[in-house]
Amino acid sequence: MLLKYLFAKNEDIPAGSSTIFFGYSAIFWFVVGTGLGSFNAAKLAFPDFATGVELFAFGHMRQVHVLAVILGWISMAFAMTMMYMTPALGNTKLWSEKLGLWTAFNWNVGLSLGLILLWLGFTSGREYSDLIWPIDLVVIFGVLVPLGINVWMTIAQRKTQGIYITNWFFGACIFMLIIVFLVGNSAEFFNLTGLTEGYLTFWFAHNVLGLWITPVAAGIAYYTIPKLTGNPLYSHRIGHLHFWSIIAFYSTPASHHLLSAPLPEWLKSFASVEGVLILIPAIAFVANILLTMKGRWSMFVENVETKFSVTGVLLAIPLNMQGGFQQTRAINWYVHGTGWIVAHAHLALLGMSSFLEIAAVYFGLQQVLRRKLYSLVLANFHFWFVIIGFCIYWISMTIAGLIQGAGKIYEVPYIDVVIAEHPYMIARWIGGTMVFTGNMVWLYNMYMTAREGTVVPKGRYAHEMAYER
Amino acid sequence: MAWKFDNPLYSMSDEQTNKATIALWEKEKHGGLWAANSRLPFPLTILIALTITTAFLVTMPIWGQRPSALLYAPMVDLMDTPEVQQKATPEEKMAYLTTRAMEVHKAASDSRLPGLLERHPIRWDDLQLAAPHIREIQSSNSTYGLESYTVVGDQVVLGNFEGSYRADGKRERTQPWWDKGYTIDLFYVTYFVITMVFVCKRLPHFSQKPDMSKVAK
Repeated sequence: MLLKYLFAKNEDIPAGSSTIFFGYSAIFWFVVGTGLGSFNAAKLAFPDFATGVELFAFGHMRQVHVLAVILGWISMAFAMTMMYMTPALGNTKLWSEKLGLWTAFNWNVGLSLGLILLWLGFTSGREYSDLIWPIDLVVIFGVLVPLGINVWMTIAQRKTQGIYITNWFFGACIFMLIIVFLVGNSAEFFNLTGLTEGYLTFWFAHNVLGLWITPVAAGIAYYTIPKLTGNPLYSHRIGHLHFWSIIAFYSTPASHHLLSAPLPEWLKSFASVEGVLILIPAIAFVANILLTMKGRWSMFVENVETKFSVTGVLLAIPLNMQGGFQQTRAINWYVHGTGWIVAHAHLALLGMSSFLEIAAVYFGLQQVLRRKLYSLVLANFHFWFVIIGFCIYWISMTIAGLIQGAGKIYEVPYIDVVIAEHPYMIARWIGGTMVFTGNMVWLYNMYMTAREGTVVPKGRYAHEMAYER
Repeated sequence: MAWKFDNPLYSMSDEQTNKATIALWEKEKHGGLWAANSRLPFPLTILIALTITTAFLVTMPIWGQRPSALLYAPMVDLMDTPEVQQKATPEEKMAYLTTRAMEVHKAASDSRLPGLLERHPIRWDDLQLAAPHIREIQSSNSTYGLESYTVVGDQVVLGNFEGSYRADGKRERTQPWWDKGYTIDLFYVTYFVITMVFVCKRLPHFSQKPDMSKVAK
């Protein structure tokens, strides 16, 4: 239905159209991404599952899951929040709804094409930057640059004098992501090999997480928590500390992924210290948000958006503690290449980041559609399935990783380690499948919200009416 | 926007700028929300200081290095002796050699060696392949000693460190305590802290609170 606006005049397109397009696309990709995750986990838990067809081999499927989640779910949820938060925070309209719709259209088409090619085996062969370079160009010039132009221009034409912290994060992170994509993928374009390729691969991988997935999620929380609670953000100055420490410390530790590689030792030493200092923005962010909750903690129990949002913020604590210390040499020699790292990556993407985005997508879609959530029961079902499923996944993979670490160091035969891990792989599959189930329920709930949700009267927020019939 | 340095830890902006900033915060409501002017709670200031200290402590002197050839020298000395040759399996040979090498390292002046050996076991096959390289380094008046060589699997390679200059003009190839990245980091973090103090102290002092009731109206 929204596609008809692609060729309409900008002024004829209803405000919020691109938010809706991005919002539903994001949920769809979340279902696809977690569905693929559940499928892949089943292959690890039950090795005889879906064998005999090359396309269903783990090597074909894994990176499709990863990029469907990162570029489909998380990044589109970011774009969705940018489409409604950026203008709201500047007391203005989105610079171009039409550009927003085209960006969402390009994104869906480009990503579908990229993932199908990846599935068929067309890959750069580098983790996280797996897409082939023509698709990288589509992502950069068909998606990120137009998104950036829309956000930057909306900020530039704001009607406020100041720029709220959420918009600092949005504007800066898109800019940094474009640089990360251009430089990080240059290894393939310029046919760089060996150590240079290895370093650029993890420069890309780390910076996609550190300069996009976690800070934009944090920027979102700076909007949702004050908005939902009605409290002012606890501190503007701590926001400064958070933002600038992200820029200073999150952009530098790439080589902590390659501590055993023959990179210059000074580079690894620098990265390792920076990696621990990631705790500074984490402390600033968590403190700022939790102190903003003062006097409104009842909402953590009563309100589903706050529940998701605060859970995401709380998960940022173990995320940064764990990440900071996993990357020191004292610990990394033991855990490198084990499932604990996989658990950590899911804590970042499915834990901290996704919970913050889910809250913002729930809130934003209700606000833009002016419709109350179709079912609070289903929303709570979604929350509990995702959090319990995630915890099962996280804990089982942490245990499996520690077993792998011990097996690696004490040279236990590989097959014995595989056998020891088997129960945890089954737990991983159960947890992942719970997340997938919760997300399918969410998609249904949001579809029904658009179709049958109670209309929210002007001047009221949908979440305020959660318990009203 | 004038700067004021008479009380830099209070505020680096003059009173007029501070009042204008507070007035702006009270007037502006970003999409229905606004930011207060609170300080970082004192315990968190301590926590951040502790984090910075910890970051440097846990990474110096870069614990858990790759194993140096020195670790396996006692094994190479013993591997052709009858005691080892009589052992039936590679595992038995390595168990014996590891025990003996551990005894040698425990008696040595460098207390890190036993821990490093424990974390970096070597297989009999790899030891056999690495042994000729280690013997060559020991016997050939090599420019660098065994402690400067790293053993990766069956490979023995010169460490890729760039330490202090030696008397012969060459660089040391073992981890220097002042590691270059570590030094760069000291400067980097110092610049960051100084810059953040400037950023925060250019804001009105945290005792000046915007009147939110004005905003709500």
